[in-house]
Formats: sequence, C-alpha cells, structure tokens
Amino acid sequence: MRVLIIEDEEKTADYLHRGLTEQGYTTDVAREGIEGLHMGLENEYAVIILDVMLPGLDGYGVLRALRARKQTPVIMLTARENVDDRIRGLREGADDYLGKPFSFLELVARLQALTRRSGGHEPVQISVADLWIDLISRKATRAGVRLDLTAKEFSLLSVLARRQGEILSKTSIAEMVWDVNFDSDANVVEVAIKRLRAKLDGPFEHKLLHTIRGMGYVLESRRVE
Amino acid sequence: MSSNSIALRLSGMFALVALLVFLLIGWALYLQVDKSLGLLPEAEVDARYSVLESAVQRYGTPEHWVKINAKLKLLSEEDKRLRFWVVSDNPVYEFGNPDAEIRAFAKGPTGMRDLNLSGHDYPFRVLVSQFPAKDQRPPLRFLTAINTETFWQTQHSLLTALISLAAVGILLASVLGYWVARIGLKPLKELSLEARKLTPPRLSGRLKLTSLPPELDQFVTSFNSTLDRVEQAYSRLESFNADVAHELRSPLTNLIGQTQVALTRGRSAEHYFEVLQSNLEELERLRSIINDMLFLASADQGSKATQLTQSSLAQEVAKTLDYLDFILEDAQVQVEVRGDASAPIETAHLRRALINLLHNAVQHTSPGQLIHVDIRDEGDHVSIGVTNPGAPIDGEHLPKLFERFYRVDASRSNSGANHGLGLAIVKAIALMHGGTVFVRSEDGVNTFGINLPC
Repeated sequence: MRVLIIEDEEKTADYLHRGLTEQGYTTDVAREGIEGLHMGLENEYAVIILDVMLPGLDGYGVLRALRARKQTPVIMLTARENVDDRIRGLREGADDYLGKPFSFLELVARLQALTRRSGGHEPVQISVADLWIDLISRKATRAGVRLDLTAKEFSLLSVLARRQGEILSKTSIAEMVWDVNFDSDANVVEVAIKRLRAKLDGPFEHKLLHTIRGMGYVLESRRVE
Repeated sequence: MSSNSIALRLSGMFALVALLVFLLIGWALYLQVDKSLGLLPEAEVDARYSVLESAVQRYGTPEHWVKINAKLKLLSEEDKRLRFWVVSDNPVYEFGNPDAEIRAFAKGPTGMRDLNLSGHDYPFRVLVSQFPAKDQRPPLRFLTAINTETFWQTQHSLLTALISLAAVGILLASVLGYWVARIGLKPLKELSLEARKLTPPRLSGRLKLTSLPPELDQFVTSFNSTLDRVEQAYSRLESFNADVAHELRSPLTNLIGQTQVALTRGRSAEHYFEVLQSNLEELERLRSIINDMLFLASADQGSKATQLTQSSLAQEVAKTLDYLDFILEDAQVQVEVRGDASAPIETAHLRRALINLLHNAVQHTSPGQLIHVDIRDEGDHVSIGVTNPGAPIDGEHLPKLFERFYRVDASRSNSGANHGLGLAIVKAIALMHGGTVFVRSEDGVNTFGINLPC
C-alpha cells in the first residue's frame, strides 16, 4: 500500500518513512507543499499524511488543491491543537486529524482505519495459539478450559485479539473498550491488563499477552524460537 | 492636544450653553424693548396734540390763527423730530406748506397712521385729526407727526449691543470654561501620572484613594480591583511557567542523562533497548503534560464546550464508574451515587472531569471505605459532589486545590502519572460549561465538586 508523507520537519519525515516502511507500506516523502501536491496528483496513494505547517504552499492549500481533483484520504498533522484548526481541516476535506505530539502507534492505527476497506468481515471467532474466543457467545477458552472473564475483561481480550500481533497503546485500548479518548491520571488500562493477564496467562506456561514498555500491549503467540 | 480632549470639549460645550442662554435672554429683552419703543412715538404725538387740541378748536379768525402758527413753529423748532401740517381749503388756515403728497395723505382716514415721506429712510408716525369749521375758519385736517428715525436707531444700537455682548460672553464662557475644566480635571491628570508608574513587574502598587473627588472614587476602586485580578493572574502565570519548567525538567533530565550514560561506551543491544524503553516512558510523560497544558490553555483562552447534549448526570457518573471499576476494586473502595439531575454537557469533557474527581477521591480513601457522589438540582444549576472520608484539609489550601500543580504535600510531587493537573482540568471543564468548582472539608469528609448551569 502506497503512502505519501508531506512533511518539512526532517526528523519527523525520516522516522515516519522508516516506521511506515517497516509496517509494510511503500512510502514517498515530499518536503514542501508544491512538490507534495504534485506527487499527490500524479500518483495513486492509499493515504496522504499532510503536515499543516509547510514552506511554500501550506497544508490547507495543498488539501484544497488536491480535493479539487482527487479524493485520496488525507490525515492532517498539526502542532497547534486548536479546535478551530481541527474544524477547518475537516471542513476542507481532511479525513482525519492528529495533533502533535502524537504517538506513532496512534498514527498507524488511524492509517489502518482509513485503508481498511469498509465492509470488512469482522470475524466471529478468533484463535491465538491455544486461546479460542467466540465473539458471539462471548466465551473464551484456553487449552479447552473456559476462562472466567468479566464483561469488561472479555471486551479487552477481544479488542486485543482482533488486532493480534499489533501493538495497542493504552490510549487506543481505553478508546476501544471504554470510549474514553483522552489521557487520564487513572491507570485503568494497566490495572485491567493485570487482571486479564492473571486469568489468561497466569496458569499457563505459554504467555500470550505481552507488555511493550512505553508503548502498550500486544496479544500474540511467541513460540519458543 | 487631541480633538477629544475633555477640557476642549467642555469649553466647547460651555460656549454652546452660553450661546443658548444669551440667545434666549437677548431675544426676550429685544422683544420687550421693541414693544416699548413702538409705543413711544404715539405717546409723544398724543401728548403734543392734546396740548394743541383745544386752542385749534377755539380759534376761528385769521388773527388768532397767527398765534397757532407761531406756536406750531416754535414747537417744531424746539424738537426737530416733530412736524405739523394743517390742511384746509383756505391757504390762510394752513401750516407747514403741505405739498400734494401731504394733502393726499391728509385726506385719508383720521387716527394714528404711518407716513413715508420721500427723502426719509424711516416713516413718520402721524396723528390725523379732523376739526369742524369755526367762525371764518373752514374745516381742518390737523396732522401731528413725529419722525421715528431716532426710535429705530435706538432699537438698532440695542440689537448691535446685544449681539456684541453675547459674542464676548460666549468667548469668555469658553475660555473660562476651558480654564475651569483644566482645574477640574487636575485630579484625573494626577491619577494618570500615578497609573503610569504601575507597570509589570511593579503591579503591587495601587492608586491612592485619599483626596480624590467622589466622582473618581468608583473608577479608582474598580481600577484597583482590576489590578488585583491582573496581579493575581500575572503571578499565577509566573508560577505556572516556573511549574511547567520544573515539571518538564525532571523527565528531560532523565532523558538526557540516561541517553548520555548509554552512549559513553559500547552497550549490549539489550541495554540500548532498555534505555529506549525508559526514554519512551519519559517522553510519554512529557506528551501527557503538554497535552494537558494545551487543554488548560485552550480553556484559558475562552474555549467553550460546544457539542452540548442534555444528559442524565447519574448515567454519566455510572459510565465513569464503569471505566474506573477495576481501580475501585483494587483500592477496595465502594461508590454510592445519590440523586440525579439533567444538564446540557459535552459528554467527553464531563467524563474527563468525573474521572479526575473520582480518581482523586479514590487516592485519598482507605480500603473498605465508601465514596459518595451526590447529584443535586439546585434550581439554577446542578451540582455533582464527590465526597470521601479523609483527613481534614487546612483552610489555607482549600481555595488553591484546583490550581495547576498545587499540592498540599510538596514532597509528593512527581509521583508517577500524577502531574498535579487533574483538578485544574476539572476546573477548566467547569469553566468551559460556564460552571464553577467547589471544595469543602468538614466532619471528617472532603468534598470536591462541580456546579454546572442547567
């Protein structure tokens, strides 16, 4: 999947390029507005990541000119997290909006949300190694043993399982499980993960729920190498 | 001096007032004098005529008539304004050499009339009287006339005098008015000189109230109270900046330090991994502080909650408790919700405020104890109070607890994710809804809460 990054800040552009390439995207980078607009119009991109503050033509200008001819999904990046900016960006046709400082995981999550074609079939059953989850009857078993999960614990498990192998930040977990989309002092996600882990991994040798320090959590089977 | 100088404007207004007053008084005076002057000629004519009337009536012979003639001649010489004409069929019984013009006039009706004689700018006031024939004398027309020129001149000079007096008066009023205004405005000038001394960082000074005219009292009082607020805001901003710097300094120190240590010599990949992870934690902390500060700054700049929906507050509290469920269980604390009310709120914001309020309460509640959430409809507003049993809070701290980075216990700073902005965010959210926050500490329970307009 091909992604265009229009960003003049060198470090940001570099790590986005590297990070997204490692995530399996083909990435092009433009360092200024006119060049970015030209590339956006010439080539077919799955998503364009567009910074607002650009030399030459600014992000809004690029967006307006692009929208006149194309409907490529656009994620706007801005250092000024101001409600007016956000409204302006979305009104002029941006599909999503991220305020700096943003986390890379967050950006990847938004990218996936935009590129995931609508009508994707949500699985009704998921299995990870010997873990088996039935999303309809809301039951989970490990090695054939029924896990005794509360409703919230099950929601947390299913969120992680639907994105197995994918690192989920605390913020996106809080958003998906509790619909809480802001940082709060309460370390609810940590506590919830601790409880889920006790029930999911506690009795078993083969651990499935892993903590990526500073980033978040991932549910995956890490077989002994 | 600028065109809207108070002194200039006042003197202009004084001049205008003077103009109005002089116009009114002058006009009335002029009308009165005009009326009196108009009556004067008639009175004089009447007086002369009454002296002559009986003589003219009595004398019917030419011998007698000579006496009349002499008398009339004498009178006209004595008073140059006076003229007499006698018109009859017999030239012997005539006086004043009446020409055709006079004769024609004399034939008109008797009584007081105006006669315009060629060669004169002003009319004569003339009493035309008729005498019947007597002895040898034929009937007469007797004309007693007075030249009104002097009356008109008097009136004219009165008008000139009035106008010039008014002009001088207006000029005086405006000049004196300017002078008076300058004197009257002196306290204002002193005040502005004093105010000029009050610039940051010397905001602690105040305008002095003594010896000020009462009209300026109110201004000075409100100016001073504005200064109070500005000074408070200024010092809050100063300490906020210091707090921010301090708050950012410790994660930055960790970042710089441990990165430098890691780079001083070759390390294992594991070690670098470790350092990067630790760095990421610190960076997340920075990000969360910055995001919270941006949120507070946007509330400070007057950003308002816009996506308001009328919601049941008990339901919002229930959703928040659902989110905090694990935390509450871990802390072995129970929450009881009492009452309900409905208010227009932006749910995400209110949820954030409720999480912070409840989390704050949980942190200060011992295991096994009960937290109360009281929702009350107070008529013009609704209140949500979160009460937990806890050590009493000193009165001096109470008003400051919702301030940024304020901590009762200074040593408890930098404790994990808690960077001291939780309650400040609650206050900001209250403000964004047009509400307020409150805190009470009594009878062994502490209540933190928020009032929202409904």
